[in-house]
Amino acid sequence: MTHQNIKKFSLALVGIIAFVLPLVLRSPTYLHILVLLYFYAYLTTSWNLVGGFAGVLPLGHAAFVGIGAYTSTILFLQYGISPWIGMIVGSILATIVGVLIGLPTLKMRGAYFALATIAFSEGVRVMIENIDFLGPFKLNGPRGLLIPPLNTGLANFLFVGKEPYYYIILIMLIMALAFTYFISRSKLGYYLNAGGEEPEAAMALGVNVARAKLIAMAMSCFLTALAGTFYAQFTLYIHPRSIISLDLSFEIAFIALIGGRGSIAGPVLGALLLRPVSDFSRIYFGATLPGLHLVIFGVVLVLVMIYQPRGLQEPLTRAFNKLLDRFAVKTTMEDKK
Amino acid sequence: MIYILEDAINGILMGSIYGLTALGLTIIFGVLKVINFAHGSLLMVGMYVALWVVSFSGLHPYLALIVVVPVMYLFGYCLQDVIIKPIFKAEKDVREPITVIVVTTGIWYILDNLTLLIFGPQYRNLPDNPLKGKMLEIGDMMISVPKLWGFIAAVSTAAAVYWYFQKTRTGRAIRATSLDREAASLMGINQYKIYNVAFGIGTATAGIAAVTLVPFYNIFPTVGVLFDIKGFIIVVLGGLGSMGGAILGGIIIGMIESIAPQFMTATWTEAIVYGLFLVVLFVKPSGLFGVKYDW
Repeated sequence: MTHQNIKKFSLALVGIIAFVLPLVLRSPTYLHILVLLYFYAYLTTSWNLVGGFAGVLPLGHAAFVGIGAYTSTILFLQYGISPWIGMIVGSILATIVGVLIGLPTLKMRGAYFALATIAFSEGVRVMIENIDFLGPFKLNGPRGLLIPPLNTGLANFLFVGKEPYYYIILIMLIMALAFTYFISRSKLGYYLNAGGEEPEAAMALGVNVARAKLIAMAMSCFLTALAGTFYAQFTLYIHPRSIISLDLSFEIAFIALIGGRGSIAGPVLGALLLRPVSDFSRIYFGATLPGLHLVIFGVVLVLVMIYQPRGLQEPLTRAFNKLLDRFAVKTTMEDKK
Repeated sequence: MIYILEDAINGILMGSIYGLTALGLTIIFGVLKVINFAHGSLLMVGMYVALWVVSFSGLHPYLALIVVVPVMYLFGYCLQDVIIKPIFKAEKDVREPITVIVVTTGIWYILDNLTLLIFGPQYRNLPDNPLKGKMLEIGDMMISVPKLWGFIAAVSTAAAVYWYFQKTRTGRAIRATSLDREAASLMGINQYKIYNVAFGIGTATAGIAAVTLVPFYNIFPTVGVLFDIKGFIIVVLGGLGSMGGAILGGIIIGMIESIAPQFMTATWTEAIVYGLFLVVLFVKPSGLFGVKYDW
């Protein structure tokens, strides 16, 4: 087999494993952990569009998760509109907000952009905490919104078991990854890459860096808000401190940075490595050693930044390619003919 | 009216302490061109050190400065030397490396959660604190004594650091490095040593802020986050890299926090502060008193 074939084969194998896993794994605890793992992988993949490819550091993506979650939940609870429609409405709203925030901030460099996004997301949190009624919409302030698990079914995005949620987030993740792959191979992807590495050189070549970044921001916000609706329907309870927290924003960024930002596999790899650490240390040491998983996150982050600034995907990809070399049949010029 | 005046004065005093916590942030940014996300955590470390010194030795809370300042200076110096310097060297060509911001965030998480692991989440106070709830009565106004000392500490620290940067040899070297790294290196200044010193000074000012906070503030592992976010807002408001701007920015935030609750629900003041921050960022990113940078 050639390199390409082995790569396709292993990708298909991973896909099949992911799809049959709930049939083998019956424990709801493990399914819950897996759903959250995919949820974080999805969020990080969305973050990666702007944080990875555009070369800026957004640290307030939780705000867009919150906008998505609140929009669909309010429409569902007050007007009975299906969360599937609310999901799209929330994403469009998040995209508009994201573009409005991106317009003035994306021109700034590194630190200013990071600070602006932090302040924006904290501002959104404080606003929601202080508002009980926004016009006709009931936000319920710091108490949050509870989704009663009645009328379960696909139309209401409410299910009894965890399996449907598993498949929904898995399909969302695959679509986000495919979208990222498509973007990274498109003209926009190359513009972003050029603008992230050498903005002056890119601009000199006639690339509209600011516009490319803004488009990336809009797409990233759209995708992120979709996950907000998923989170609301999965946990059935949202409140500002849980969903628009700095911790969520930072965790998304950490996973991407450790996995390898700007690569397609990086975010998934990061989630795959870090989420189990966080979940299991919370299950086994949550009572005795609180905060252990965050210490581990911090240490891993610092070590990765010092020794592998491009993330863990780089050495792992290299190792995978070496492995391929050993098994793959060398394609020579004769074979190709 | 007298209440508003009283609130304004207390706001100025508390605000100057916010300014003191932001001072280190602005010093470190001015020289390294990096936002130190771990600054609040360093403040938290300083508060714990001050708490131990006072409770073990039984000294007056402000005498803890003698121990806290050198300890924090060394801590910051080593942190920069061991963890941040290697990354700086690796990303020499990047004017403002994102990797360094990320690493300071990592340090923030490690420090906060390590403290939580070791000392637990409970709130701590100074045992038999002589300054607890002490008030100065001027006419009908009540002014908090520890906050007044905080104000004095903030102003004198800013003045001292300013004098140090203007008059001493190392201070001049620091300013030269902050203006132009390459040119400073060519003049025989070891830029990495300057970074260490600047980071140490920034951390030491966080230590001074910690000592002034300890007599009237609760100490807990995530106390830094509160000051961290405020610190970011203050330095951008005052202008990143400007020391006077940091103190004045702090006073503005302190005034808003103390006067605004007279007119609205107290929790809304936080929203006003974030709103003001975003407006300044959009309209005048160089801040109210800052030098214009090229971003």
